[in-house]
Amino acid sequence: MTIMRARQVNVFGATLSRREFIKAGGVLVVGGSLAGTKALRAAGKPAAMGNSLDASLPNSWIEINPDNTILIRTGKNDFGQGTVYTAYPQIVADELSVPFEAITTVVQGHTDRTPDGSGAFDFLGEGMPNIRKVAAYTYQALVDLASERLGVAKDKLTVKDGVVSGGGKSISYGDLIKDQQLKLTIPVSGSLSGIEGLKVEGNPPMRPVSEYSAIGKSFKNPATTSKVTAKEKWATDVRLPGMLHARVVHPKTLGSTLVSAGQVDKTKFPNAQVVVKGNLVGVAAPTEWEAIQAADQVAGATKWTEWKGLPGNAKLYQHLREESDWKAAAVAKGSTNKGSAETVLASAKKKLSATYQLSYMKHAPIGPTMAVADVKPDGTVHIHTHNQNPQLLRSEIATMLRTTADRVIVHAYAGPGHYGRSNGGNAGAEDEAVILSQALGKPVRVQWTRADDMQWSTQSAAAYSDVQLAIDASGKMAAYQIDHYMPAMQDDRPIGAVLAGLPTMPAPDVQADSVTSTVNGLSDPWVYAPVANVTERGHGTFQVGQKASPIAVGLRDHSMRTPGQFQQNYPRELAISEAAALAGADAIQFRIDHASEERAIGVLKAVREASGWETRPSPRPDATSSGTAPVRGRGVSLMYRSRTYWACVCEISVTPSSGAIVVEKSTIAVDPGIVINPPQLKRQVEGGAVMGVSHALFDEVSFNESGVTTEDWITYPIPTMADIPEIKVVLLNNPKVGTYGGGSEAANALAAPAIAAALHDATGKMIRQLPMKADRVQAALKA
Amino acid sequence: MATIQVNGVRREVHAPGDTPLLYVLRNDLELTGPQFGCGLAQCGACSVLIDGKEVRSCITALADVAPNQEITTLEGLPARWAKQKGIPAEEAKTTLHPVQQAWIEEQTPQCGFCQNGMMIKATELLEANPHPSLLQIKEAFTTSGLSPNLCRCGTYGAIIDAVNHAAALMARR
Repeated sequence: MTIMRARQVNVFGATLSRREFIKAGGVLVVGGSLAGTKALRAAGKPAAMGNSLDASLPNSWIEINPDNTILIRTGKNDFGQGTVYTAYPQIVADELSVPFEAITTVVQGHTDRTPDGSGAFDFLGEGMPNIRKVAAYTYQALVDLASERLGVAKDKLTVKDGVVSGGGKSISYGDLIKDQQLKLTIPVSGSLSGIEGLKVEGNPPMRPVSEYSAIGKSFKNPATTSKVTAKEKWATDVRLPGMLHARVVHPKTLGSTLVSAGQVDKTKFPNAQVVVKGNLVGVAAPTEWEAIQAADQVAGATKWTEWKGLPGNAKLYQHLREESDWKAAAVAKGSTNKGSAETVLASAKKKLSATYQLSYMKHAPIGPTMAVADVKPDGTVHIHTHNQNPQLLRSEIATMLRTTADRVIVHAYAGPGHYGRSNGGNAGAEDEAVILSQALGKPVRVQWTRADDMQWSTQSAAAYSDVQLAIDASGKMAAYQIDHYMPAMQDDRPIGAVLAGLPTMPAPDVQADSVTSTVNGLSDPWVYAPVANVTERGHGTFQVGQKASPIAVGLRDHSMRTPGQFQQNYPRELAISEAAALAGADAIQFRIDHASEERAIGVLKAVREASGWETRPSPRPDATSSGTAPVRGRGVSLMYRSRTYWACVCEISVTPSSGAIVVEKSTIAVDPGIVINPPQLKRQVEGGAVMGVSHALFDEVSFNESGVTTEDWITYPIPTMADIPEIKVVLLNNPKVGTYGGGSEAANALAAPAIAAALHDATGKMIRQLPMKADRVQAALKA
Repeated sequence: MATIQVNGVRREVHAPGDTPLLYVLRNDLELTGPQFGCGLAQCGACSVLIDGKEVRSCITALADVAPNQEITTLEGLPARWAKQKGIPAEEAKTTLHPVQQAWIEEQTPQCGFCQNGMMIKATELLEANPHPSLLQIKEAFTTSGLSPNLCRCGTYGAIIDAVNHAAALMARR
């Protein structure tokens, strides 16, 4: 190929460089370059690790081909939200003015083939996902090129379906870039291996909402088709030549050290071998069945020290309140704190003082975590897995092996959703597979068992909150004060590295990075602005048992769908329902009367209408907490998250004599601003509604003084099809908001406070502890 | 060595007889539709049909499957439907099982990991009962098998929609 000509053009802060080739072909490659890297270093932020940031390499964001097909890449790895396969192409299609169908390929997650990193959460980040800005830059560059090619001023050109027209002439994007090598370089900041990844900077002009064409339509998710037809390549399907299957024999307790590892009975399992590294014991064999059986046999012959350093379920809340060091972290204060709640509460005649408690919950993916690792003789590491933050996993593995991240490649595949557990880079088995592969000199597939996944994974942190609020003579909330207590909610240390005694990031501590800090930040935005006196405080501490554990493990926590906000919104919204009851007011009208944001009031009114809500105070006039006949009740909750307003009404029946709750109907109204893909959003909300029922009635980790005793689906029940309510989803498309909010999270956090309020409505009794299992409800109703 | 009949094809397998069928299918025969979810017959992710009955392959030993029994995995659903309806070979190549078609049209899966078992259960149900009521659908997915078919993403409502949709598609043929 001969370069005919090369030149550079500035495009709203991005740089378009252009070379013409004799040879046919051509592609527009959009890549990123770190803007102000020196400034970032000066600010103490690490510069991104280079692997795919050189825009001259093909592994970049968007490729437009001569045949007008388009490929997009994102570091965000879809976990069933569908966003990267539906919303992202819709957004790109509208910013580029091409049909949705033109985007034929989406590459996601792989650390060597995607540009920006970050995790499988907040896909629509601030309404400005990277891919949107990149598409906007690309559009400007393409129109610049067309202007030059056609000899028509840019402002006289229009674009429709990927064809630029003006002055009686027109040219398609494909023809525009044919026979040319065009490279657009755009400004990027952040860290590739940071939890947020890289962020595209600058302000290219965006497509006006009024011109959206693909956004708002109902495109199907192509990944669904490949999964349903058994064509999807799942992480669980990866098989490498010479690969060994392995299981890990985890310690007896969350504080045990290894006394002696068992030997393989070679008469029964001739091809199996044991690997011991510190307190990590692995058993590998050429076939999966031999590995499973040999691991069982070795586990029985392996000796561990005993340890009892956990409070156990029964003493959890007593331990949290009385024995945890809440001075270990700075107290977080709400950004909307105002007035003096303390003063008003001191003299209030009508007030509520209550404590709300939430249990530990498992992410509980339907498939236990697994990974295939291949540590090559030259030290290069390949990991094949299902992970929410492959770039962060890459840096964690590099840390563990005392090597550099460019030696580690993470290949991303579909897998069972685990709802945040690996957004900090690991879900459990990845590092163990690497350790075993390195030791055995072969590719190794580590598959956790169901019990491993229940007992050795992280969990959603338990929490409690103390609330005080006052109702004035006019029935309005005069003061609101809440203190949230929660242990550090995100431990990103790979567990295999911890057990093996290999380097990891520090355990959650005061000085750790923000997400792994012990500080309990305020996650639940205050939505009742007219209340004059508001105090919200967050108190954090170390993970339960972690400091006492000889292996620094204990009850490790990790963010889980709507993290932190779930733990804070449940007490707040249940307290607001209690406040309404105290004021003798209807729970929805009471919220409307205490809100000022039009969108908050909008979702409340929508959910009231859609659910057929009867306006009256709670409890219902004929409420009863005794008897064998089911009694019915309803409750409501409100939330603001990721630029989206949510309101939920749950209708339940409860049998007082047994304490059994049946959620009969769940109505959710959601205003995310612009709805990108109505049926996809509806399915996401429905799923969240069911998980919400699970949080409210089912999810509870059992543990004793030594470890987690929950081990399977019998000891950790989740809802079945028979447990789900009728679900009604009201999508409030609100284009005047001008952007789009997240819809895959938050729906799971709405049910618990609404169901607890419904229980109060039905029975007159308030239960302030999750989950509301039948025996707990039965005991509380009897009391 | 054992001989089993999978998706209409006789296959010779060298795995020990006590090997769970799930590992034979996934590792020896590269049929990866069934997934490992628990290994305890508590979730349904590994389900296959054996002679039309939903079976948990994670606890079914290879030796317990007779050579004349017909195993159908997710991969074999289109051929099963084509055979049942006498669909011509050329048309059959591009025809999905109505259950799969309905799962796509209703956009049922989220992560999709449990959906193999859900589609197998739906096929078992609809072959026996072409027009199930809501209660019958709920019974099929909760009490008819060794355990309820579990989904953590919360797609149960979408599964009910898809079963009804599949019933309508099947009635058309």
